[in-house]
Amino acid sequence: MAFREKRHTDKKEATGALRFFGTTLPKVVKHVIVYAWLLLWVGIALAPISWMVSAAFSDAPGIGYVPIIPTSFTLDNYRDILTYRSETGQLFPDYVDSFLTTLLVATVTTVLVVILSALVGFAVTRFRFHAKKPALLLMMGLQMFPGFMGMIALFIIFRVFGWLNNPFYLSLIYVAGAIPFNTFIVRGFMRNVPKSLDEAAAIDGATNLQIMIKIIVPLAAPIMGFIAVTAFMGPWLDYILPSILMPNNETVAMWLFRMNVPTPQPYRPMWFMAGALFLAVPIMIVQIYMQKYVTYGLTAGAEKG
Amino acid sequence: MDKDNERKTGRAFWKSKVVAKAKGLGRFIFARITKTIGGVYRFFRALVTGILNFFKNLYLAAKHHPRSFLKGLSSFFLMGLGQFRNKQPYKGALFLGIFLVFLLTEFLTGDYIYAPAEIARYPAENTLYFFRDYGGLFTRGIWGFFTLGALTVGDMYRGSLIVNEDFAYDWLQSDNSRTLMGEGVIVLVLVAIFAALWIFSVRDAYITDKKIRAGMEIERFKEWIRRIWDQFFAYIIIIPAVGLILFFILMPFLFSFLVGFTNYDASISLRSDLIEWHGFATFREVFGIDPAFRTFFLRVLGWTTFYAAMSSFTVYVMGFFQAVVIESRFVRYKKLWRLVLILPWAVPGMISLIVFSNIFGADGLMNRLLADWGVTDTVRTALESLRLIGEGGTGTIEWFTRPANANLARFLVLTVNLWMGYPYFMLLITGVLSIIPRDLYEAADIDGGSTTQKFRYITLPWVVRATAPVIITTFTFNFNNFGAIYFLTGGGPRYLTDDIPRAIRDTPPGQTDILISWIYKIAFESGDHNAYNLAAVYSILVFILIAIVSLYYLSRLKSFWEED
Repeated sequence: MAFREKRHTDKKEATGALRFFGTTLPKVVKHVIVYAWLLLWVGIALAPISWMVSAAFSDAPGIGYVPIIPTSFTLDNYRDILTYRSETGQLFPDYVDSFLTTLLVATVTTVLVVILSALVGFAVTRFRFHAKKPALLLMMGLQMFPGFMGMIALFIIFRVFGWLNNPFYLSLIYVAGAIPFNTFIVRGFMRNVPKSLDEAAAIDGATNLQIMIKIIVPLAAPIMGFIAVTAFMGPWLDYILPSILMPNNETVAMWLFRMNVPTPQPYRPMWFMAGALFLAVPIMIVQIYMQKYVTYGLTAGAEKG
Repeated sequence: MDKDNERKTGRAFWKSKVVAKAKGLGRFIFARITKTIGGVYRFFRALVTGILNFFKNLYLAAKHHPRSFLKGLSSFFLMGLGQFRNKQPYKGALFLGIFLVFLLTEFLTGDYIYAPAEIARYPAENTLYFFRDYGGLFTRGIWGFFTLGALTVGDMYRGSLIVNEDFAYDWLQSDNSRTLMGEGVIVLVLVAIFAALWIFSVRDAYITDKKIRAGMEIERFKEWIRRIWDQFFAYIIIIPAVGLILFFILMPFLFSFLVGFTNYDASISLRSDLIEWHGFATFREVFGIDPAFRTFFLRVLGWTTFYAAMSSFTVYVMGFFQAVVIESRFVRYKKLWRLVLILPWAVPGMISLIVFSNIFGADGLMNRLLADWGVTDTVRTALESLRLIGEGGTGTIEWFTRPANANLARFLVLTVNLWMGYPYFMLLITGVLSIIPRDLYEAADIDGGSTTQKFRYITLPWVVRATAPVIITTFTFNFNNFGAIYFLTGGGPRYLTDDIPRAIRDTPPGQTDILISWIYKIAFESGDHNAYNLAAVYSILVFILIAIVSLYYLSRLKSFWEED
């Protein structure tokens, strides 16, 4: 009984002044509290990032001596990572080499992911299948399996076929991994493209392939763009998989990780910061630019929900 | 007295409410379980009836259309023969070609040409290990899969010693069980694909013959290709994707699943020892023999669940709060605030985790700041009184390394996750806030609803309902969030050796290790003690847990089940 009465009195009170998280305070105080709170969190958000930037351009003797706010500016770290070769006579410095390798992996992944996702999405939304839904569920379910044990199997497959250290085959794994989720996304998008378009085209004598390439894919361009960008960003910071399948052909993530573990020299956290910053900036820009997609899946789901 | 009574009624009310909820949940879970069991039962029933029907149809075909059946049979013995006899040479050539490719692969990768002469010399051994010595890709693969090898370094074979590698004589090379198993899985998948084509050719020969006998017109090869292309267009265009998934997801999955049923651990040195199938022995080890083993598994599972739940909960609440604050009428330049606050989310996870591991390193930023401000001791005392770290520490604070500081490490893991994760939910919930219909609030204003009430009865339900799927995916993601632990703490601090049961001292988890990072340690970072079978068993358990949650969530998502 007690709580019901309380709610009742609550209602009576509330008809009066504006309330601020349960208190009635002067407007100025409210503003001060809100802005102080936000400033606090801006500080918390920016401190580690600022420290990272500071370390990347710092000439401090060790990572512990780097201040949060940059006080010095030097490009020494960048000069070092762009010249350091672990073996003399290498064509490219380690960092550049790993960067190019990853670029290749990312490019191949993107191209294949876009093509295959379009094909699968078209097939799934436009045709009847035997056991379509169980197959989709199975695909999603298999993804849940922790991949580490599978990596031993992948390692064996790669060794048997001589694919170790080959960026192309590494990207095939990323493609295979991306398809189930992308199928999900593309399916959600493509099924909203009216089927009357296909039918009209079919009456005009277009083949399935033409319908797909000339009608559906252009209409699905925005979602294909989203898929391409996510596929491209994926390989850059994946560490475990390449560390097993590319033992002698470093990717950027492996290089970054290596700079932070003491055992295989060189142990250079400062280089890590420089290299990581160089990589993080473009990724951050893309992420921020794509933030509107964050709510895309959700609102699409909410409509259907 | 009166007050007491009132409190009791209040408590009783809540109690009854909680009981009702629990009952509902119980019924719900029970219904789910029975439904799942029913589903599994139906699946196997369908499987069995499917197989029975297949043979029944076969029998009926032989009985009612014996001649057509014979055509099918001829395609069974030689792929394409039935098609040739149906006067479909191109189609027959296509199937025959597939068959020949299969056979040629087998013969060219095998050593059958040496067999007759050598069998005469070493009759006993060669009949025993015929496929090992002469088999091609397929027969050797299947032999290897079931036996997992026969001869290891040091064995005598045909009067010679088996060695690690022998480039002249393959048969003198020791068997590597792991490779045999991997190749076996590859071969089984390839054989399954071939078998499907084979059955297709048999069926095709049978049906075509029936059509001929019924006097129907038989389509020409070109038409057939065209029809196949049109009719199976959907299947054909997904072949590349399905192939990749078979090869790079399903096959590794099968392999790792199977490792759980072997005795493959670090005591097995490949080529000197053979891996053996040993059924559920590892599962029994995990659940039965040593109770300490089980307790420890449950302890790690407990922390994993707590971590997954807490990290999802904290980012959600924080994101919600931040979204509401920025959307409130007191804040100007909303876009700018949001832009700055989402920066942590935009930094790639691996980078920010390694940055934080540097911040909290032994000589990292945090300790130096504390030293500069001269508050190291104050902070340590404060942390001690909060029971985040154990007593008796000296010098700088060991954030992730001292066994007694486990609570601090766990707290930091959650905090860093909050830093990285909440902006995402802030964005998400800001988006949801913008789609809540304004008239709901207007109606509430007319009825005299307070801000709190409007929040409680309009905003909260809307947001929670719209974001429920994301909460579940976040939970499952965090449950398997390997990087969040591995790159930040590396699982540290370790447990005190005395606290670890003897059975798992070889592959102990750290105190912040979640299951997935522990599995990684068991399989790859325990040096001489890597226990692949154990890691596989834990993987299977994690898989089952996660799959149940996610499939349950998927099954509730209406949009998934809608027809296209």
